[in-house]
Amino acid sequence: MRLSTRKLLDRSFTGLGFISIVIMTAALLFLLTPIFIRGSRAFLFRATVEHRLLMLEKFKRGNPEKIQIEVEQTQKMRRPVYDMMSQYEKEISQLSRLEKMEKKNQLRELKKYIENLLGPAPGETRPVLWRDQYGQTRWERALAHLQKVLYREKWDYSDPTKMGQKILIPRTEDFKGTSLENLFPYIENNLKKMLSPRLTFYWRFLTDKSYDAHFFGGIWPEMLGTLYLTLGAMIFAIPMGVIAAIYLTEYAKQGTVISVLRTCISTLAGVPSIVFGLFGLAFFINTIKISESKSVLAGSMTLALLILPTVIRASEEAIRAVPVTYKEAALSLGASKWHTVLTVILPAALPGILTGIVISMGRAAGETAPIIFTAAVSVGKPLKLLETFTQPTPALPWNIYNLATEHEAVDEIRHVQFGMVLTLVLMVLVLNMAAIILRARISKKLKG
Amino acid sequence: MKGALMEKEEKKDVLLEPPEDQRKRNTSGEVTDLNALAEGNGEVHVRTEDFSIFYGTNEAVKKVKMNIPSKHVTAIIGPSGCGKSTFLRAINRMNDLIPSCYTKGKMYFDDHDIYSQKTDVVTLRRRIGMVFQKPNPFPKSIFDNIAYGPRLHGNKNKNELFQIVEKSLMHAALWDEVKDRLNENALGLSGGQQQRLCLARTMAVDPEILLMDEPTSALDPKATAKIEDLIAELRGEYTIIIVTHNMQQAARVSDYTAFFYEGILIEFGDTKELFQTPREKQTEDYITGRFG
Amino acid sequence: MFQNTKNKRESLLLSERAHRLQRVGSFLGQGFLFFITSISTLAVLFIIFFIAKDALPFFQLEGFREFFTSTHWYPSAEKPEFGVMAIFYGSAMVTIGAILVAVPLGISAAVCLSDVLPFIVRQYVKPVIEILAAIPSVAYGFFALVVFAPTLQKHGGHLLSVASWLILTPLAVIFIIVISDLTTTRLSDKVRNPSRLAIIIFLGICFAWGLFQMSHYFNGIIITSGTNALNVSIILGIMALPTVVSVSEDALQAAGRELREGSYALGATRAETIIRTIIPAASSGILAATILGVMRAIGETMVVWMASGNAAQVPKPWYNFLSPVRTLTATIAGDMGEADHVTGSSRYHVLFAMALSLLLFSFLANLASEWIVVREQKKLGK
Ligand SMILES: Nc1ncnc2c1ncn2[C@@H]1O[C@H](COP(=O)(O)OP(=O)(O)OP(=O)(O)O)[C@@H](O)[C@H]1O
Ligand SMILES: [Mg+2]
Repeated sequence: MRLSTRKLLDRSFTGLGFISIVIMTAALLFLLTPIFIRGSRAFLFRATVEHRLLMLEKFKRGNPEKIQIEVEQTQKMRRPVYDMMSQYEKEISQLSRLEKMEKKNQLRELKKYIENLLGPAPGETRPVLWRDQYGQTRWERALAHLQKVLYREKWDYSDPTKMGQKILIPRTEDFKGTSLENLFPYIENNLKKMLSPRLTFYWRFLTDKSYDAHFFGGIWPEMLGTLYLTLGAMIFAIPMGVIAAIYLTEYAKQGTVISVLRTCISTLAGVPSIVFGLFGLAFFINTIKISESKSVLAGSMTLALLILPTVIRASEEAIRAVPVTYKEAALSLGASKWHTVLTVILPAALPGILTGIVISMGRAAGETAPIIFTAAVSVGKPLKLLETFTQPTPALPWNIYNLATEHEAVDEIRHVQFGMVLTLVLMVLVLNMAAIILRARISKKLKG
Repeated sequence: MKGALMEKEEKKDVLLEPPEDQRKRNTSGEVTDLNALAEGNGEVHVRTEDFSIFYGTNEAVKKVKMNIPSKHVTAIIGPSGCGKSTFLRAINRMNDLIPSCYTKGKMYFDDHDIYSQKTDVVTLRRRIGMVFQKPNPFPKSIFDNIAYGPRLHGNKNKNELFQIVEKSLMHAALWDEVKDRLNENALGLSGGQQQRLCLARTMAVDPEILLMDEPTSALDPKATAKIEDLIAELRGEYTIIIVTHNMQQAARVSDYTAFFYEGILIEFGDTKELFQTPREKQTEDYITGRFG
Repeated sequence: MFQNTKNKRESLLLSERAHRLQRVGSFLGQGFLFFITSISTLAVLFIIFFIAKDALPFFQLEGFREFFTSTHWYPSAEKPEFGVMAIFYGSAMVTIGAILVAVPLGISAAVCLSDVLPFIVRQYVKPVIEILAAIPSVAYGFFALVVFAPTLQKHGGHLLSVASWLILTPLAVIFIIVISDLTTTRLSDKVRNPSRLAIIIFLGICFAWGLFQMSHYFNGIIITSGTNALNVSIILGIMALPTVVSVSEDALQAAGRELREGSYALGATRAETIIRTIIPAASSGILAATILGVMRAIGETMVVWMASGNAAQVPKPWYNFLSPVRTLTATIAGDMGEADHVTGSSRYHVLFAMALSLLLFSFLANLASEWIVVREQKKLGK
């Protein structure tokens, strides 16, 4: 081959490496950007007057006088909408029965959508569900619902070779020539005044309970559940993992028994997480009956098993990294072996062990599969500490799955889902950052 | 050439000479055959009989017979890999840390068999302190470093601990340099200071024997001189056994010198005699720098 | 110095009782440590035992034949059928897909990290890998379901064609240049350059035509559902990437400097050094990395459960990555909720049978990777 071709190959090879790194970074960005942007909207969003009204009536938050004034102003803007509709009702009452039926149905559908957008009409009986008691609390949802008011959906199945096509038909066409014709432009142009959206920072998303199947409120029970599960897992995993690491590094003599134990550890590390979940169900709950059914305790123990190999390996590595001179110094001063481990080796290995613990905490917080059968439920109240021994709990990872796939109105609560994902990812990232910083400090200390 | 070297050394020796009474015993020729010390009188501190040390199948120290006198400085010299460190570490059983290492023969400390089943290793190491080649303070405060040993042995009283720390640091000629920063991390000290700290830490548990494995090889000349001064001060109080590569150092600080070669104790005797009139050819070759 | 203490030296000799006490103490202490260690390690045997215990009733009730041969998975039908072949196939399919994504990317990234990038840049790339590894699987699953699947459904064909352009064009260019070079080296100086040019132009036109055809074909594809094997494969590949990168980077680093310097000294370029010398030397480590990547992908639950479409069928045609599939892990996760009410039925135990096969697979894979590593160590030792 010519030298120039060889050089070109060399360059392109280098390029290939760079590209793969770029792809990797891009993948990370593609993943994190939507999570961060859309997740932040759970906290920071344009809240309508309905949001403030809800906060006042249900949580006693906000200034009652101000909100009252605002409500009156927006009600004034909404007045024409209801007026037009009652006008129209009068109009169609004069039509023939058959026509009346059809028009009435059309009107009922329209009314339903307007109710979704603005809340129940004044003077109506108060519905049971919170979501029916109020109009749209978030501006971007209000805009989505506005579309439903303005347009009627129709599916076109005329071409049998293709899937059905969605067609949007403006409702004005349905009500042409009636008193409702002006309703649609009016709503479209005055929606802002009817809802008066304002940028709001809802930090209580983290500390509020959820209401009406996550339509309102925050994610406190899930946060708390994840916290319980993670800490519980650490309570079991840390002592066992560190003790095992001490044994393996300081006491164990090379031999078959030890190599079997090591193989077991690496096998444990390779067990799929869902199998841990099944094991937790079959062993902790069905066999030794640690609790009646799912409970935080059973979930924690399952998670503890899952992260045990990580804790053991990290601790082992940290202990091995302690210079042997420390050990020699302590022993030469007349310390016993156990005393040396406790007073010299463990303190020196502590940052390394902590790094491993922090990383595995992140892992425990984010794992879903092991808690599906052992600890997680979709809906629940925040638990008290003692209840964790017997009660299941909602938890962030499980509820992300649940809300994204099994909720009755998946699209309505996207912000909650993204908010949960963001919270979980942030939790894990903060833990990992802490680990990275810890490690940097260790290496600095070792160098300096 | 050899003569010139020795002359120079002798001059140095005179300059560094410790107070007369300590030197007397050596110059008077009282102890010429060290093995004569073996006959049970109190002056022998460590005694070995056909003592061998193995790493697996490799015999690193071979059938050493040696009587180390009490309250004197004994230097061990020899080419690299000849088993000096191995022998030294055997005295306080630091070799127990190495799984493949085992011993044959006897080694006595005050007539007590060090390698007996019933020996309390912890007490043994408490009474035979060790200073290592590289300074190895714990990553703790200066105070905690020195108080580690006393605390270990049950002394929890803050006042007493402080006294011990002060005394040991003074003894190690470090007190003036660190008295204002006792709570700072010991790793912040200079290498020489760290080594003296290690010496102070060892002395704080009040051992009878001090083992030193090339204590100055990681230090600059100034710090080395300080450690050597210290050793000179401590002689007469402790039994000191020091491994060194530096023959001038051996000549300067020690009363007796042992020469090891390939695991065998070739020659052991009064330092001056050994350097001036070595009995063995190998010793002569080594101290004149013909190999090693 | 401390005269008073010196007189009260404790004896070196342990009393008979102290000696015995010490030995009992150290025996008990070590026994305790050993006990804790074995509990935490033998957990894996417990796991195997308890999964197997609940899996056996299924085989007793239904036998082996249907489980391993049939593709009919109708566990809740009137007359339930428990054919798991299609589900096995789904698992294998997404795993292979993930490996196709993760291994080439991961190895070239690892090579780049260990041999190409300067140290400073490496410091910034490492955290990227760590973060990729740290992000919880449910977040990946959520992304796959809520962001990636709709995109794929909407712009799938175009995405595929753009991707094929991006991947294949550079490869084609390099290929053409190398071919033209290789075919013309023997020619005499005069004709060499013109003939090279001719070959380049000819091959260039051929490839360009092929690429256009392909992208045209891809453009025409309509993806009916964004939750399919392709989606899951890509996401799983990204999830397995950190494992592959870090393990194979370790292997590449372990190949050592002498090897590299030896090759450079013979006048090889960096690419030649890496491809001819380093990668073969690190091959077993890279193989271990691949196995670990496979384990990561096959054991993953949330992503496949959320974004694979969960249709228990063998895709038609069999290589169709655009059709929904169902995997072992997703089936276990999804069906346990319903099956749990009837603990003891075949419906319940079949899930344990699936878990057992997963477990056995991961056990074997783990043994294999360990064996590879040990063999490598021995080779280096000798
Ligand atoms: N941990 C060990 N395992 C096996 N062999 C060892 C070990 N430590 C030392 N040896 C061997 O024992 C012999 C003596 O080593 P030792 O460290 O005592 O030499 P030394 O005289 O102190 O040398 P130096 O002056 O270089 O420190 C050497 O051949 C060495 O290879
Ligand atoms: Mg040595």
